[in-house]
Amino acid sequence: MIKITLFHIANQNIRRKIFRSLAIAVSVAVVAGTLFSITTIMDSVETSLRRGTERLGADIMVVPANAEMKAKTALLAGDPSTFYMDKRIEDKVRQTEGVKKAASQLFLQSSEYECCDVADMLLIGFDPNNDFTIIPWLTKRLNRPLEDNEAIMGRALTAYAVGSNVRFYGTDIPIAGMLEETGMKFIDNSVFMPFKGLRKIAEDSATRGKETVDIPLDKVSTVLVQVNPEITAARVAIFIEHEIEGVKAIVSEQVIASVRKQLFILLRSILSISIVLWIMAMLLIGVVFSMIVNERQREIGLLRAMGAKKGNIFKLVMTEASVLSLAGGIIGISAGGLFLYIFKGFIRSSLDIPYLWPSAAQFSLLISFCLFLSFITGTLAALYPAIRSMRMEPYEAIRRGE
Amino acid sequence: MIEVKNISKTYKAGSELIKAVDGVDLKIDQGEFTSIVGHSGSGKTTLLSLIGGLTKPDSGTVVIDGTDLWSISDDDLSEFRNLKINFIYQFASLIPTLNVLENVMLPTAFSKSDEPFEDYARELIEMVKLTDKVNSFPSQLSGGQQRRVAIARAFINRPEIILADEPTGDLDEETESEILGLFHNMNENQKITFLIVTHSTDIARGCNKRYRMSQGVLKSE
Repeated sequence: MIKITLFHIANQNIRRKIFRSLAIAVSVAVVAGTLFSITTIMDSVETSLRRGTERLGADIMVVPANAEMKAKTALLAGDPSTFYMDKRIEDKVRQTEGVKKAASQLFLQSSEYECCDVADMLLIGFDPNNDFTIIPWLTKRLNRPLEDNEAIMGRALTAYAVGSNVRFYGTDIPIAGMLEETGMKFIDNSVFMPFKGLRKIAEDSATRGKETVDIPLDKVSTVLVQVNPEITAARVAIFIEHEIEGVKAIVSEQVIASVRKQLFILLRSILSISIVLWIMAMLLIGVVFSMIVNERQREIGLLRAMGAKKGNIFKLVMTEASVLSLAGGIIGISAGGLFLYIFKGFIRSSLDIPYLWPSAAQFSLLISFCLFLSFITGTLAALYPAIRSMRMEPYEAIRRGE
Repeated sequence: MIEVKNISKTYKAGSELIKAVDGVDLKIDQGEFTSIVGHSGSGKTTLLSLIGGLTKPDSGTVVIDGTDLWSISDDDLSEFRNLKINFIYQFASLIPTLNVLENVMLPTAFSKSDEPFEDYARELIEMVKLTDKVNSFPSQLSGGQQRRVAIARAFINRPEIILADEPTGDLDEETESEILGLFHNMNENQKITFLIVTHSTDIARGCNKRYRMSQGVLKSE
C-alpha cells in the first residue's frame, strides 16, 4: 500500500532539479571532506605524539651537546644517526637533583653491505638493569626475560615477524617481540636489544661481517631520564646542563610541544580556510533554498490549502536540506577518507613528524563530528527560508506563485 | 452549513487600497450546489479563499458547521481544512514531481487518518477516466487531464465542502460537461456541498443557488 509522506515529497523535490541538488551536496561535501581530512591529520599527530612520548617513557633525553639537532631529527623524523658521549655521564645524570631514574642507550646504524638485512636501520642497545622504557613493556607482553642475543622490533619493520631473524653485521638475531605502533619513526623503525648482545655483534662483526663495527665500549649515545613527580622536567634539564659539561638535555614534552605548535599553525591555517569555506557553503545553500522557496510559493500555498500545517511546510524544507547535507557529508567524508588513504605515505613523508592513524573509536568520533557538522551546515542555512516558507499566508502564496 | 457574516477584505496595490470583498453575507446549507458569477477582479476568488480559511478577513466571520474559522489556531484550521474542505483551482495545481496516484493521494500526507487511501485514490482516478495514466507525471498529461487529476485529488479526504474556482476554465465542452456531471453526481450521492466560482452563466444555471459578485459585493440572483 502506498502512503504519501513528507519524506517522500522532499525526496522527489530533491530529484526535481538534480544539478541544483548536486551543487548543494557537493558544497557540503567539500567542507565535510576538508574538515574531516584536517581533523583526522590533527588527531593522528596528536595521538602519535602522545603515544610516542608514552612509549619513549622518558621525560628527558640527554645527548652530546653537538648532537642536539641529530637527536631531535632522530626522535621525530626517525632518521637514523649515531652520536656518542662518555658513559660516566649516565652516573652523573643519575646523581643530579630531581632525577628519579636514568638509563643509557647505545645507537648502532646498520651497514649497506650484505652483512645487514636492511641498510640504515637503527639498532638500539639498552641496559636491562636500569632500563625503564623497554623492560616494563616486555614484562607485560613477553612474560619472560629477554635473552642477551634477542631483539625487540619496532612495528614499522613489517618484513619481520616474531620468531624470525634479523641479520646485523653477519649475526642473525632472533626477534622475541614487536612493539605496538607509535607513529614515531625513532621507535617504529628501530630494533632494540640488550647492551651485551649489541657488543657481541660488534665483536663478531670482525669475522662475520664485511664491515667491522667499532663501538667504543666506554661510550653511550643517550641517557634517558625520568624525573621525580614533584619537579618539572624543564627544571631538571637545566640542572643537568648546569652540572654536566658538553651535554644537551632535551625535554620530550618541549620537543613535542614545539612540533605540535609548528604543525598546528599550518593546520590551523588550513582549518581557517575550511571555516571560510563552511561559511560560504552556508551562504550558498541559504541563497539556493531561498530561491527554492520562492520558486515553490504556489506549491506551498496549495499544500497549506490541502491541510498542511505550518510545521509540515517547515519539515518539508528542512528534510530536503537535511538529506542533501547528510548526503554531502557522507560523500565528503568518504572522499576525505579515500584521500587520506591514498596519500598516507605522502602525508607522512611531507609532514616529517610522528603520524599514526586514529583508532576505530577515534575515527567513529571524527566521522560523527563531521557528519553532524554537515547536517548543521545545510539545516542552519535552510532555517531562514524554511521559516519564511511556513509563515506564508496560503492565499498570498498561491497568488504570488501564479 | 457555511455562514459568512459581513465579511470584508482589502488589499493594498501600491499606494491604492482595493476592497476585494465588501461586507458579504452568505449562507449555504449542507449539500447545496451554489454558484457565484462575476467578472475578473470582482472578488470571487478572494471570497472563496476567505470561506476556505486561506486568508484572514479584515472584518466579519466565517462559520462552518459551528466553527468560527478565525477563532481557532492555525494548526487547527489546517486540520479543519484537511478534514472538511478541498479546493479545485483554475490553474494546473499538481506537484510536478509526483505521479498521478501520488498527486491524488497528496492531501492524505497531512491527514491523521490511518485509512489506506490507495484503493479510494484508484477509484477516483477511474472516475475521472485516467486509469491508464496512474503512473504518469503531470508533464506527460494534457491540461484537461491535469485538471481531472486535481478534481480526483479534491475528493480523496472525503471532504464535506468543495470550493471550486473556475474548475472548467480552458476546457473543451465535452470535458466540461463530464466534470460538471461528476460534481453533480458527488453532490447527489455524497451530499458534498459545492461552491463554484465561474464566468459561465451556463454552469451557474445548473446550480440550486446563484449569486453574482461585482466590485466585492455579492447579490443573489
